[in-house]
Amino acid sequence: MFKFKIVACLVLMLLVFSWLMQACSAVDRSVAEEALVNAESGLASAYVAVAEAEGAGANVSELIVKLEAAGNLLAEANNSYRLGDYDEAYSYAVNCSDTVEGLASEASGLKLNAERAYGEGLRLTAALSSGGLIVLFVLSLYFWKFLKERYFKRVLKMKPEVGKAE
Amino acid sequence: MSFDDFKLFYVLACVSLGLIILSPTLAMVIRLPAGERFSELWILGSGHMAEDYPFNVKTGETYKVYLGVSDHMGALEYYMVCLKFRNGTESLPDTVNGTPSNLTPILEYRLFLEDNETWEREVSFSFEGVSFEGNMCKVSHIIIDGYSVGVDKVASWDEDEHGFYFQLFFELWIYNTDASKFQYHNRFVGIWLNMTRSL
Repeated sequence: MFKFKIVACLVLMLLVFSWLMQACSAVDRSVAEEALVNAESGLASAYVAVAEAEGAGANVSELIVKLEAAGNLLAEANNSYRLGDYDEAYSYAVNCSDTVEGLASEASGLKLNAERAYGEGLRLTAALSSGGLIVLFVLSLYFWKFLKERYFKRVLKMKPEVGKAE
Repeated sequence: MSFDDFKLFYVLACVSLGLIILSPTLAMVIRLPAGERFSELWILGSGHMAEDYPFNVKTGETYKVYLGVSDHMGALEYYMVCLKFRNGTESLPDTVNGTPSNLTPILEYRLFLEDNETWEREVSFSFEGVSFEGNMCKVSHIIIDGYSVGVDKVASWDEDEHGFYFQLFFELWIYNTDASKFQYHNRFVGIWLNMTRSL
């Protein structure tokens, strides 16, 4: 009888413990919602930064891979949330936030580098073009002088022709 | 050739040469207008062709289609595809006003595409809890990509087309950076499904 009581107590304790564990780990709707909002805004900010970096000419292929992974996680989070699975929704949303963490600053760094490289390239090209234009201007003046002299020499060497009077 | 003509020709030749020398700098500064910007959205049948779409469906069978999106917007874009399920009387997106259907999405996909990049994935679906009562058919659940979603849609018998018709459709949404939110991109594709009795 005593043994039976001990076993019953252990089983009861186990049940209470597992219920408590479940209750402690369960995420309620508002927590999941907050995690989703954070993930949504984090991903949107990361996207805007990456798009700007891409527009500036930076190589963002690695960042896009991270964005895609985060996008999949957020979609899974929203799908789970719609089904009422707040645990899964929370977990996916937190994973999404973790994936995009630091992505915006990384993209901003790449954007700055790309803008710097573009500025340097533009300055170099503009300098070369300006040099080319100056050379062209000087040479064209000299060449024009040469052509003009040649033209007038040729005109002066011409002999007048006498045509028949009609 | 007169002297004035020769002078004009020389000046034009010098200006043309000057423009050629300047062209690398101009190309870096001047942005030429891009072509038409648009996005594509499509679904293909099980054979990866625009045919053999699921039509007569029943419980216990799994059907598949291929969903694709292509970006021709000239830049990296952030898209969301919302999957919706309706009976014949519920709202569809309004292509004239560019408004989405007011139905709640049952599933969504999110994707990032660079200019001229294409995304495609297989979407498999099946039905659970389909019941027929008189001239009504009720679908309780649709299982799509592993998610069992409660839909509870009822369709009445279509006298003209002889069937219980439902529609599975996909809406394309695009993230607007100015508004900081997703906006319906005025594109949707869908397939009609005729729910039949399992034998």
